[in-house]
Amino acid sequence: MLTVSVKWQKKVFESIEVDTLQPPYVFKAQLYDLSGVPPERQKIMVKGGLLKDDADWSTLGLKNGQKLMMMGTADEILKAPENGPVFMEDLPEEEQAANLGYSAGLVNLGNTCYMNSTMQCLKSVPELKSELSNYQSARTKDVDQTSHMLTVATRELFSELDKSVKAVAPMPFWMVLQKKYPQFAQLHNGNHMQQDAEECWTQMLYTLSQSLKPPSPTEDPDAVKALFGLNLRSRLHCQESSEESSETESVFSLKCHISHEVNHLHEGLKHGLKGELEKTSPALGRTAVYIKESLIDSLPRYLTVQFVRFFWKRESNQKAKILRKVDYPLELDVYDLCSEDLRKKLKAPRQKLRDIEGQKLGLQASAKSSSKGDDVKMTDAEGSSNGSGELSSGDQPGGASSHMTGIYDLVSVLTHKGRSADSGHYVSWVKQESGKWVQYDDANTSLQREEDITKLSGGGDWHMAYIVMYKARLISM
Amino acid sequence: MAPVPDPNSVGGGAKRDEATTKVPSKDSKKKDDKKEEDLSEEDLQLKQNLELYVERVQDPNPELQKAALESMRKEIRDSTSSMTSVPKPLKFLRPHYGVLKEFHVKMAESDLKKMLADILSVLALTMSAEGERESLNYRLTGSEVEIGSWGHEYVRNLAGEIAEEYTMRQGEESSIEDLMDLVQQIVSFHMKHNAETEAVDLLMDVEDLDLLLEHVDSTNFRRTCNYLTSAAKYLPGPDDMLVLDIAYMIYIKFAEYPNALQIALFLDNMQYVKQVFTSCTDLLKKKQFCYMIARQGITFVLDQDMVANEQDREALQDIVNNTKLSEGYLTLARDIEVMEAKTPEDIYKAHLLDGRVSSGASVDSARQNLSATFVNAFVNAGFGQDKLMTVPSDSTSGSAGNWLFKNKEHGKTSAAASLGMIQLWDVNTGLAQLDKYFHSSDNPVIAGALLGVGIVNCGIKDDCDPAFALLADYIDNEDSSVQIGAIMGLGIACAGSQKDQIRSRLSPILNDAKAPLDVIAFAALSLGMIYVGSCNEEVAQSIIFALMDRSEAELGEALTRFLPLGLGLLYLGKQESVEATAEVSKTFNEKIRKYCDMTLLSCAYAGTGNVLKVQDLLAQCGEHLEKGDIHQGPAVIGLAMVAMSEELGLDMEIRSLERVLQYGEPNIRRAVPLALGLLCISNPKVTVMDTLSRLSHDTDSEVAMAAIISLGLIGAGTNNARIAGMLRNLSSYYYKDASLLFCVRIAQGFVHMGKGLLTLNPFHSERLLLSPTALAGIVTLLHACLDMRSIILGKYHYVLYFLVLAMQPRMMLTVDENLKPISVPVRVGQAVDVVGQAGRPKTITGFQTHSTPVLLAAGERAELATEKYIPLSPILEGFVILKENPDYREE
Repeated sequence: MLTVSVKWQKKVFESIEVDTLQPPYVFKAQLYDLSGVPPERQKIMVKGGLLKDDADWSTLGLKNGQKLMMMGTADEILKAPENGPVFMEDLPEEEQAANLGYSAGLVNLGNTCYMNSTMQCLKSVPELKSELSNYQSARTKDVDQTSHMLTVATRELFSELDKSVKAVAPMPFWMVLQKKYPQFAQLHNGNHMQQDAEECWTQMLYTLSQSLKPPSPTEDPDAVKALFGLNLRSRLHCQESSEESSETESVFSLKCHISHEVNHLHEGLKHGLKGELEKTSPALGRTAVYIKESLIDSLPRYLTVQFVRFFWKRESNQKAKILRKVDYPLELDVYDLCSEDLRKKLKAPRQKLRDIEGQKLGLQASAKSSSKGDDVKMTDAEGSSNGSGELSSGDQPGGASSHMTGIYDLVSVLTHKGRSADSGHYVSWVKQESGKWVQYDDANTSLQREEDITKLSGGGDWHMAYIVMYKARLISM
Repeated sequence: MAPVPDPNSVGGGAKRDEATTKVPSKDSKKKDDKKEEDLSEEDLQLKQNLELYVERVQDPNPELQKAALESMRKEIRDSTSSMTSVPKPLKFLRPHYGVLKEFHVKMAESDLKKMLADILSVLALTMSAEGERESLNYRLTGSEVEIGSWGHEYVRNLAGEIAEEYTMRQGEESSIEDLMDLVQQIVSFHMKHNAETEAVDLLMDVEDLDLLLEHVDSTNFRRTCNYLTSAAKYLPGPDDMLVLDIAYMIYIKFAEYPNALQIALFLDNMQYVKQVFTSCTDLLKKKQFCYMIARQGITFVLDQDMVANEQDREALQDIVNNTKLSEGYLTLARDIEVMEAKTPEDIYKAHLLDGRVSSGASVDSARQNLSATFVNAFVNAGFGQDKLMTVPSDSTSGSAGNWLFKNKEHGKTSAAASLGMIQLWDVNTGLAQLDKYFHSSDNPVIAGALLGVGIVNCGIKDDCDPAFALLADYIDNEDSSVQIGAIMGLGIACAGSQKDQIRSRLSPILNDAKAPLDVIAFAALSLGMIYVGSCNEEVAQSIIFALMDRSEAELGEALTRFLPLGLGLLYLGKQESVEATAEVSKTFNEKIRKYCDMTLLSCAYAGTGNVLKVQDLLAQCGEHLEKGDIHQGPAVIGLAMVAMSEELGLDMEIRSLERVLQYGEPNIRRAVPLALGLLCISNPKVTVMDTLSRLSHDTDSEVAMAAIISLGLIGAGTNNARIAGMLRNLSSYYYKDASLLFCVRIAQGFVHMGKGLLTLNPFHSERLLLSPTALAGIVTLLHACLDMRSIILGKYHYVLYFLVLAMQPRMMLTVDENLKPISVPVRVGQAVDVVGQAGRPKTITGFQTHSTPVLLAAGERAELATEKYIPLSPILEGFVILKENPDYREE
């Protein structure tokens, strides 16, 4: 009879007697008593070999006091889960896109970055998308053929973008756009010319506003106008004759004029709302200089501001660019650009907004005093979720419950890089619903930091904002 | 050492010739007149005296002659103690050198003639024309008085002339006996006067280092050996071996066994190792030796002669077998308080990259999960706990608890094997935890379990040999992935063991016509690891045949590169021994021939610093080849392998790689980052870091990937904040490119390897010793990285685990006489090169005092800050046994 010691995990079973006349299975049964590992799960290692159940002890050359090693557990045997995980790599493309959190880029078809960036910015307006999806595929009489085609193409493009991960080539849309607006089909040396994104933007909105008009010519303005349009009430004043007249007009965007004293968007807007024009004065019977001062009479859901960076330079015969740095905020308040009537209307909602914010701040302050660190972050998070809640509440346009406050949040920026409007490169930067900023540089998309967005204010050769779009902050009363 | 060139250079020499041959006439007199005016009274007196002596020497009266010679000698001796300026007597005697020389020829043989010869010998120091060796000639005819009495400079000059004379006489094959007498005198003088380096230089010049043994004593042997070992790095073979042999003998002579053992290990001479054990009688010291052998990672079995007592032998063998490594490592981890498991997210630190990380995807990505598996494995390596693999799985719900199944197909292999990495070195627990995977029905999981067993056993030996026992049955499994798991596991677990048992199982696979290529490739690689540096003929034959059997198409496969690599590993560091095999490799198919050639060359001379081989390899890199040739990749890596042995060569290599980078073809550019990674492995040099950072944004994505992996390698186990920051930024830069992101993740895992307690550096013991298995592991990874897309980014990502061979704790752990850890204060600072410096210079600079266990960064050295204990090893790295100092008195 031999005695051996067996090492198992961290334990050592000392002096186990081995009956060398019995098959090793008996020995395993002994170990089963000690360790609780069933014999068939035991792996016993003897000098670089495994002990087989039917081995012959004598051939193993076992010595008295030899150390053996056992491997084995009584644990449950590992089973693969019934439904294995689904891997991103195996998913169809559209689901991958959904997981990415933002939609695909657009392929540049030859100097079409102005179009790509414009469409990416417009696509970021969910209300426009829903309006488009409601659009009848059959053409109605009051829309001309090309406008209809362009609208349909826009709808198709938007839905395609939402579905895919890889960059989309907007060929059909591009063809239709050229058809509708032949100026975009201009060729130079056999290539399509670079165009002004602002022109594309304006034309697109115009077309859409035409085609998305409700069929019955009711009082209701068309959808695009409801979303983007704003009314300006202007007072014309002739200094020579002290004549005064007023007029209202409806526009899709505000202009930010850049002169040497403009450093900030707000100043530029003010500047843009004041102007001089020459017109025939009935009193004087000749043309005279009138001063035109405009104020906003109604606010849009999406406020578009164009930086007037390009001007026609006669000497060089091209649209030259003003590189001046003009800062723009993430949060824009247009209250002092509004007319008296509008101000009155805004007063109550603004007060409420202020109250809510004050409350939040108060909460935060109390949270700060009571606990530190994490709690503050939590209230921050709450705050931001509240903010998005407000935005979503505004999803019913014209709903009785939500009111304009005159405060706007930045949602997309179209930038230009280069020295003239017809050259260089256009890129769009769009805020996603998740609150993240994405840069759409033709086919390439990349995540950006919010603080980098405000750095696109110009003053160098980097991308600088050309068209910015703000979304109204609504409040329910 | 070559004779110091005369400061007067050529022009001066010509003028002096004139002075020596012609007796000073009008010219010099004029000069003298002028000079005399400037001389002080004392000097004038001296000058006149000397002139008088010169005249008297020529006097026929021997008495007068003798008196004059003696006075002259006295004057010279009094002034030659220092050589900051030409001593006055020598200066004043200059004009008379020719006269005295002529007179000496005329003199009859006598003591006086010898005396004059002595003086002429000294005068020749300043007067003799270059190459004349007059000083030596007069010395040989002189009276053979004590050589040192003429001062150091004289001796030094003589040594230089001897070296010249020796080479000349070797050419003429004439006797050198008279020279050797002089050498004896000079060496003994130098050795007594803190000039060991010069003594060694002289003996190397006259090729008789054995003489050194007679002259070293307890005061100077350390400095002597120190010089010998560092000089060895710059000597051409086989001189370097000879020099180290002498150093070994000196150490043995003075019973400085730890150092002797170090050199024995360097020479890879097991006879010497054995001799150290048999010569030493102190059991505790032998334990220390065992720790040193364990660190080198070689297989070594103690026998009766080395340790008589069986129980002691068992205890010592346990240390050699590294069974205590896990314990020591965990002691360190507890002391530094890094036991808490880290998740991959803790490493990625995505929250520091506001906004730019992709939104938390709700769907698992197999790629990202795989990278998380590796990061988790490397970061928690050896800690025995983590937050993915070792958490108790919630029954079989397959939800959060079961990370394994969050990996896809071959990904599961790596995931299962990662458990082995987490339990690294802790064989018992590791095997228990891996057991459950053995019963899986999923082949990739079984393969992972087998590989895991190999990883757990890496560097740990056991009598029961659990790795072989468990893995052997799977070598011939019908599923090739299981086969690979078993083969690779064996390669890792038994690296360097040269077990015939394994060879007899693996060799048939190599020559099995039906075996798939990947199995053959891994079998060759594993055999290379197991027989690393052994020059085993039979293994070499098997691999060569396997290479010859490959079809043209197979030779084009990415994995085929492991066959030449396996072959090369057999000759790792063995220099000329590779030549026969290299000849055979010339007959291979041309597709693989050059690749094989480069791999063999670079492996054989790895860690030797051989300048000629560096030139050979550089020449290969200079060629501009047609597309499709891949052999320049291993040539570039080979540059790093050869040059990595010592600091100077390393720095030169970094610079020449910059050149190669600028002028090389794309396939070279792709290998350069890897070479840099090898040169500075676990040693984040800022310049290299910057270069790699630049390359990580390269337009060639292969270059970028290699650079990213190398960033991980140079920072491996350091937690280097700068590299971590770079990688974090890269992770947001490349967040859309799954392949590059995978590389970034892996690199992040490397940088935080073992939570910063590990190193990958194959050099240890103050950069003297090179662990062959460690180098084999790294080189394998680098070769795999030469074709990243088909190997690491393909389905063979588990080759990353070969790095485990190089992973070692970068610690210094002090243990008492019972091998229990004790904490003592130590100073840790930058190591200073003290070779060839007199006295007892400080060996570290800019130190901080810590208490053990401590971490040692690259280039750092520790010294005990207390007199209470005496370390048993002069190299304070790894495990160090401390003995209480009997002379210590508490103050």
